[in-house]
Amino acid sequence: MHMLEVEKLKKSFGGLVAVNNVSFIVDEGEIVGIIGPNGAGKTTLFNLITGFLKPDSGRILLRGEDITGLPPYKIANKGLARTFQIVRPFRHLPTIANVLVALQSHRGKRRIEWIKTPERKAMEMLEDVGLSDMALEPAENLSHGDLKRLEIARAMALEPEIILLDEPFGGLNPVETEYMIKSLQRIHLDGHTLVIVEHKLHALMKLVKRVLVMHNGEVIAEGAPEEIAKNKKVIEVYLGKAI
Amino acid sequence: MPLIKYLRKTYTSFTTRIYDVPPRMFAFLSLIMLSLLPFMGIPITTLQVLIRINFMATLAVSWDFLVRSGQASLGHALFFGVGAYGTALLFKYLGYPPFITIPLSVLICVGIALLIGFSCLRVKGPYLAIVTFAFPLVLTGVVKYFPELGKDAGIKNLPRIFPTLAYTERWLAEYYLTFALMAISAIILYKIAYSKTGAIFVAILDDELATKACGINVSKYRIMAFIISGLFAGLAGAIAAHSDLFMRRASPIYLSAQYSLIPILVSVLGGMATIYGPLFGTYIYTLIDSFILKEMLNIDDWTRSLIFVSIVLVLLIKWPRGIGRTIVEKLEDLEEPREIEEILKEKGKKG
Repeated sequence: MHMLEVEKLKKSFGGLVAVNNVSFIVDEGEIVGIIGPNGAGKTTLFNLITGFLKPDSGRILLRGEDITGLPPYKIANKGLARTFQIVRPFRHLPTIANVLVALQSHRGKRRIEWIKTPERKAMEMLEDVGLSDMALEPAENLSHGDLKRLEIARAMALEPEIILLDEPFGGLNPVETEYMIKSLQRIHLDGHTLVIVEHKLHALMKLVKRVLVMHNGEVIAEGAPEEIAKNKKVIEVYLGKAI
Repeated sequence: MPLIKYLRKTYTSFTTRIYDVPPRMFAFLSLIMLSLLPFMGIPITTLQVLIRINFMATLAVSWDFLVRSGQASLGHALFFGVGAYGTALLFKYLGYPPFITIPLSVLICVGIALLIGFSCLRVKGPYLAIVTFAFPLVLTGVVKYFPELGKDAGIKNLPRIFPTLAYTERWLAEYYLTFALMAISAIILYKIAYSKTGAIFVAILDDELATKACGINVSKYRIMAFIISGLFAGLAGAIAAHSDLFMRRASPIYLSAQYSLIPILVSVLGGMATIYGPLFGTYIYTLIDSFILKEMLNIDDWTRSLIFVSIVLVLLIKWPRGIGRTIVEKLEDLEEPREIEEILKEKGKKG
């Protein structure tokens, strides 16, 4: 059984077909990258999978279970977490409470070992991403890099089986990018499946074994990073046709 | 038994930490001061103003709780009115005493809050405000149409809660009853708002989408906020209907705009979405409006509201985050910062 299976997913906004017959499979323990130029439909695809948008047609299976059209919170509780491209922290809450919110979902609650209080568990999640010093600081005082890591901690609080990361390296400096790569590698080693949408190909290629390329709502290529880099169609999409 | 245990634990944590937590000290001192106020030889008219403050503050705190969940309602008078009419109708047609009708009418309020919370799920922000604005207007129309509901005059001659007391004692009893209502509602709402569940409400206020992504059933918590808020506003309404201050009747006045708008005004004045802010706000509002402008300077109604609005504007420009919030934050600065480990240990004991 596959971890995530997307079958002929389609979504249009008026006349614009944002996602057109996209099908792909993610197996357990994989790291899959999704790349593509701006407006290729990557974020829409994520929104469809996580239930924030309803697809026009097609199916989404999580571990063989149909999750198409379920509300976002139910999908999250089934073990499919996501982060956002533009950080969405709870600005008025302390950093630790941001994680506490996710720990109070059905799935988060289930995963609190009986000896630990939610607060302690939240603290552990923050330590994992290196934010424990900021635990009591309101989230609005955090820097962009910290907020990106907070997004990860919040998603991890659900103890997800698969995490969809929307541009985890967006707006990070080289040092922070390096740190993020290490964090993601550790999360992967802990047995979580990752799907990453990213523009920074350099950082992405270090992580993934398989890449999907999207253009105009369709998957135009799929394969190992080295193959993709040589793929004629992909180069055309990114740089334009050779004259 | 668990209640006694909880109270004892609260008491010990209160007494051990009261001296090093300035906001707590402040709250404790004001509680004592306000409960001793009637013994300072104040006239009955002042006592009536204080009773009014208690009702207003309860309404404002419950409104503020709703705002903390990201739902700014413009029709909070609805719950006040439903509470009052509920108890009045139960008395008129079934003849039950106040001790039965008040809890029952609070239950009715909870039901109404559930309905309204459910029907408001699809709107938020300014749209929610406009939708909720309509509810008390609709109910006013209903009330004024049916003779069974007393039309304009309302349902009169409801029984007193303490029927046997003499004139002065009656007002004293009313003061303490409403003071307890305000203090207990404020403490309970504060406890909920600053608990782990309360964090979910703030999360919804900050970012509803991200809360959904965290696996939280946002609709459930939004309705829950409506129910909790409506419960306390309804309780205030039910007690008001039996009070001498409101002439012991349920009338369309309960549904008028002032009971929707003054809670908002005082919350903004004291600090919105803080729960303690509206308490500050109500006292500041009444101090300026009733005591200084009306009683001491004897200014007529229209000029008074003009002066009052200008004072409020100046206050809000000076303290845009609210006066209460500014004061409490200053007090919090006096407190020694605690280590995260210490807080975790304390939480660990509770759980």
